[in-house]
Amino acid sequence: MKKVYLFLMTVIIPQLLAAQASDDFLRSTGKIYSVVVVLVIMFLGLVFYVWRLDKKVKQMEDERTD
Amino acid sequence: MSWWKLLSVLLLTYVIIAGFTVPLKPGIALVSPQTTPSNSILQLSIEGYNTHFESGKQSLEAWLKLDSIHGVRANKIIVKNDNLMEATFAIGTIENQFTDATLYVNNDIDNTAFLPSAIRITKSGNTSNYTKQLIPYERLSSKAGFLFPYREILNETIRNTFFHVALWMSMFALLVVGLYHGCQYLRTKNILYDSKASSYNMIAIVYGLLGLATGSIWAKYTWGTWWTTDIKLNMAAISMLIYVAYAILRASVDDIDKRARLSALYALFAFAAMIPLLFVLPRMGNVISLHPGNGGNPALGGEDMDNTLRMVFYPAVIGLFLFGMWIATIRTRIETLFYKKSQLE
Repeated sequence: MKKVYLFLMTVIIPQLLAAQASDDFLRSTGKIYSVVVVLVIMFLGLVFYVWRLDKKVKQMEDERTD
Repeated sequence: MSWWKLLSVLLLTYVIIAGFTVPLKPGIALVSPQTTPSNSILQLSIEGYNTHFESGKQSLEAWLKLDSIHGVRANKIIVKNDNLMEATFAIGTIENQFTDATLYVNNDIDNTAFLPSAIRITKSGNTSNYTKQLIPYERLSSKAGFLFPYREILNETIRNTFFHVALWMSMFALLVVGLYHGCQYLRTKNILYDSKASSYNMIAIVYGLLGLATGSIWAKYTWGTWWTTDIKLNMAAISMLIYVAYAILRASVDDIDKRARLSALYALFAFAAMIPLLFVLPRMGNVISLHPGNGGNPALGGEDMDNTLRMVFYPAVIGLFLFGMWIATIRTRIETLFYKKSQLE
């Protein structure tokens, strides 16, 4: 299920981001804002993976206190 | 010692700053009209990008290239602003049915901005005494300095080289490390190698999925569609599906040794399948791809790469690889703790 989430995140987030800004804006000044969107997606993807690792550690901590 | 973790952060910081602040060379974005008959007067409106038509007005000249050495010089230029001008050419007779003429715009500030195949000149029944001149190549040169190249269609998205392309390159490097640890597991049956192999493969899969997503965004704003049946796109998607199956395989086997053995063998197969998909098929002679970087390496190739791009691109690949390595070692430590705990129980 987590893998499904990961996949959905990487596919749907770009679409949501793009929906926020108009196409004209993203294509203005030599399409520089589409590069910004690319960087934001990279950042969010990596954060998501680190967040999942974090959950794994938390799971271990919780088991230990039981 | 974790100097390489700091190095990855420094490299990525440099990549983001340089990747976004270094300007593009002056270029020609658009001309109109795009066809003209021979032996006629052509009024060409020219739209520049990062150009200084107005400030460099004194030395401004425009040339249309007719054959390898000859061209026609604009005899009248009206400058509207720094990025807009109108040039008038008297085009004479051409030898072939048509010529796709390259446009050069030259001035002291921008040096030469050019657009390949800017306008198609077709043979017509008109007659005229307009002549062609020798193109002064010695005066034409691209602007010097630390500037990224201007490519039509790509424009500013050439900066994706440092993000999208670097993701794929570092993904491959991480998969090689994962493969090495997988083979070490099969050789020694030491579970530590399984933790390492799976960690490197997982972060590589994340990089690959991000590569697909970032490529899709780029395609939307350059090609106008999220996805198209380009060989580089489809083969990359297939190899990522093979690797996503690796993640699913690992998640679906509970027994630790069985999972380690199965996934190490599967990763071997997946890596072997990826080589032809990503490196061989896109280079086949009869394959047509719209994806930038054609000719030679599918990603680094030929005309789309130059030395200024490389000065940011290589640090980007190394930085992303080291960053992936950092995340992989964290996951390895977590997996090892899990294993130790399961041994205690």
